[in-house]
Amino acid sequence: MLLEFKNVMPFPLKDYKHDDTSVWKSEFAIEFPKKVLLNANSGKGKSTFVNTVYGLRKDYVGTVLLNGSPIDTLSIHDWIELRRTKLSAIFQDLQLFPELNVWENLTLKNQLTSHKTEAEMEAMLSLLGIGDKKYQKCGTLSLGQQQRVAIIRALLQPFELLLMDEPFSHLDEGNAKIALDLISAETDLNGGGFVLTSLGSYHGYTYDHELKL
Amino acid sequence: MLKKILFRDSKNFQFIFATAGALIGLTALLLSLQLIMDVQSFHSNEEELFGPNSVVIQKKVTKLTTIGMNSTEFSPTDIQSLKDKEFITDVAPFKSADFKVGISEVEGDGLPHFYADMFFQAIPSRFMDINVDWEWNEESEFIPIVLPRDFIMIINYGFAQSQGINQISEELLMAARLTIYIDGNGKKTQMIGRVVGFSHKISSILVPESFLTHANGIYGNGEIKNPSRIFITTKDNSYGELDDLMDEMNLDINKSAIDVAKIKTIIAVVIGIFGIASVLIMLLSLLGFVQYSQLVLSKASYEIKTLLRLGYSIKSIVNTFIKQLSITFGIITISAIAIMFIVKLFVVNTWLENNGINIEGSSLVTTIIVAILCFGLFIVSNYLNIKKTVNKLGDA
Repeated sequence: MLLEFKNVMPFPLKDYKHDDTSVWKSEFAIEFPKKVLLNANSGKGKSTFVNTVYGLRKDYVGTVLLNGSPIDTLSIHDWIELRRTKLSAIFQDLQLFPELNVWENLTLKNQLTSHKTEAEMEAMLSLLGIGDKKYQKCGTLSLGQQQRVAIIRALLQPFELLLMDEPFSHLDEGNAKIALDLISAETDLNGGGFVLTSLGSYHGYTYDHELKL
Repeated sequence: MLKKILFRDSKNFQFIFATAGALIGLTALLLSLQLIMDVQSFHSNEEELFGPNSVVIQKKVTKLTTIGMNSTEFSPTDIQSLKDKEFITDVAPFKSADFKVGISEVEGDGLPHFYADMFFQAIPSRFMDINVDWEWNEESEFIPIVLPRDFIMIINYGFAQSQGINQISEELLMAARLTIYIDGNGKKTQMIGRVVGFSHKISSILVPESFLTHANGIYGNGEIKNPSRIFITTKDNSYGELDDLMDEMNLDINKSAIDVAKIKTIIAVVIGIFGIASVLIMLLSLLGFVQYSQLVLSKASYEIKTLLRLGYSIKSIVNTFIKQLSITFGIITISAIAIMFIVKLFVVNTWLENNGINIEGSSLVTTIIVAILCFGLFIVSNYLNIKKTVNKLGDA
């Protein structure tokens, strides 16, 4: 998947002074599969970047292209198809269903894609240390536990690009490392790539490419 | 699981009100529709004979008429002006026999001996709805005759008693043959006649037009007279216009003949008003339901947005809503049909029976079709609304 930015500038960020290396107001192209880190301080537009590429925000000037097509020409149906087959995401606010339990949150996604078996899903839960929370309502989990549910959910579909918006912000370095290893392995399994936004930490991982804001 | 997410705490007051409103509205609508059709299906014997909207009109006999200064005949101009009336669909002057008529019994057919001078009149057979052989030709065995119902009353309660003869039932009179004596144009003959029906509406002795034309040709003196009675058919519910016409042309009319039709119209209007009110209730409850689904949608807007982000299609979300509403409204529709049927069977029909009114009852098919149409209208309007809202949430 080819992601291109051409002079993109979100309206809310237009008054900021951006560095020459920033992705805003510049041109760049990344051909995935690649593992990309987007490193920046708070307020520089990490979430804006993720949400823009995922098609949730349209308040910008310039052009974002996916595989050569400007994304503002995509219909809602095109987006839904993309999000089921090529584009996955972990949102900063997680977007889980708090009244559903962990297992229901995961199967809601997996029954749409049939991407993993129940055993594989259970193995992922155990690996991330929340195997015993399977039937607990997500609304009652700690933020760190919810974050791990959201990570697993994002892996329950095929993708060419996985967008992650500070997915480890409530995890300790050890758990973050385990999660990132899982994500990296699944990314390779899908033959895809990811963009990971971070507040400066590399999480002990070596990336193919680094973007700045 | 979609249902669990989307219909989270959706059973609230709004839902109960919308459901109750839809149930009441739909039941009232179906009930009034069914009752209107039942009332329309009510027929008196009279209508079976002549159709519902036919009346006989004649000019009033006044003092001037008696001294010969005013005629009760309808001139060709009068007839034309009747034909020009917008609410009158058919006009047929009565033909009168141009010869003397007398009748007596046929010996051995069970009637007591009698003889009476009579007259014959005819109207075109298209006015006769009667289900008997009203055709006559020269080979016919007998002349079919329709008598005024009062005729048999006069015989039984007046004539028979004073003359000391037996009373006659309608059935006997219809089963027996009559001898018809015809005298005119210097010729005399006897023929056989038979009573095939009785009428409240027409105080005349009716024979087929074909017979009268034939007999007038032989026994008549060839004089053409203007008719004094006219049979007209009006459009439905034109009693107001008919009243005006009666005043205008100084007409006499057998009012009781139109009473049944008039009462039917009044009942239909009353039920119709009830029906309109129930349509309004229906529409209000439809609005209530659209609003209810709007409320559910806005309560579930986070869930809908998130499902779309996870890759759920708009169609699958809309279908989840529509499926749920179809079940709800399906139950409402079936309940409304059931309540309508129970009320009709145990309340309306019982009341009618207790009051001696016999109504055949019309079929339930039309009412059920209307119920299904309401169901369709409900589902389509909700579908469009939900689809629009979900699309909007997807674009946001």
